[in-house]
Amino acid sequence: MSAAVIALSSLSKRFGERAVLDRLDWQVERGQVVGLLGRNGAGKSTLLECLLGVRPLDGGSARLFGEDVGNLSAAARADIGYVPQSPDLFAWQTPTQMLHYFKALYPRWNDDKVEALLQRWGFDTALRHKLIGNLSGGEKQRLAIIRALAHEPALLVLDEPVSALDPVGRRAFLQELVGDVSGRDTTVLFSTHILTDLERVAPQVAFLNNGVIALQGELDTLLENAGVGLEELFIEVTA
Amino acid sequence: MFSHSAQLFSITPGSAEPIYRQLVEQARRLIAGGQLAPGEAMPSVRDLAQALALNPMTVSKAYGILEMEHLLDRRRGMGMIVAAAREGSHSASSRAELLRPTLERAAIEARQLELDPATVLALFTQIMKEAP
Repeated sequence: MSAAVIALSSLSKRFGERAVLDRLDWQVERGQVVGLLGRNGAGKSTLLECLLGVRPLDGGSARLFGEDVGNLSAAARADIGYVPQSPDLFAWQTPTQMLHYFKALYPRWNDDKVEALLQRWGFDTALRHKLIGNLSGGEKQRLAIIRALAHEPALLVLDEPVSALDPVGRRAFLQELVGDVSGRDTTVLFSTHILTDLERVAPQVAFLNNGVIALQGELDTLLENAGVGLEELFIEVTA
Repeated sequence: MFSHSAQLFSITPGSAEPIYRQLVEQARRLIAGGQLAPGEAMPSVRDLAQALALNPMTVSKAYGILEMEHLLDRRRGMGMIVAAAREGSHSASSRAELLRPTLERAAIEARQLELDPATVLALFTQIMKEAP
């Protein structure tokens, strides 16, 4: 049994003629916090969806906690938290109803944490009883993050988690993530275009380019070897 | 015992200098300048990470390097404290030496602008006299 929380082997995904993921190999170890970078359309969301088993694979294998994603045990499922890029489900429910519904699905659910986050992130009584479909993009995203943190997952996968948040909201989210990650041995994988955020919280980065992980490693080492900032490095690797 | 707040530090993501390096250099300057005095407690890794929204590993790495360089001491149950000053470490010349990398960068730009040393020194003197 391997120590890798995520193990991808020769993973392939095609859309029509185009191979978005092309025999991609990748491992993420337990406790790592990894930022996934790539240009628009590089397939970051597809990669995250495939490794979570949300999307069927065209080839290769994806294993989480040593189990095949197509056949995850209930225990493994309960250990995963996922925030999709546009969390637009449950539009007909209120935040209170949605959180209640999810609470019933998980063996673990940290009520205190949910309440504290709701308060800190501006969910007053009125907002908690508004239909999710009527919330702003930022409010939906904050709610999706609260939902993903509530059951204290061992693996947290975030697809552009701060894209709809303003700088204050982004900073609050990063602080929460930092506190959460350091408190437990959580493995975190997140994609982002906001390189300054990534630099604050992700010691490891991986670049997705031409369907494979083109470069990965410790961010500090990559920057020191390249002698340039992260933005320059991004342009060099993905050009 | 006096304990420093995390507000002492600030970082700039996006520069070619990794964040842990920025923290090391800032601590070095603050210690040399006396803002961080021997025996004073550093903010905890957790507090500093929270305040700057950084991964705690980055702060730990910076503290580890400062400890290796004997600028910080690890005290059991108290975290990191500023180490006792070494002989000569607070002399004006050793403090001035810390300014060298910044001045070297300024010198490159001055040469590109074809400025003579006297003009640059006059400007620098004027800047030094202005309120911070």
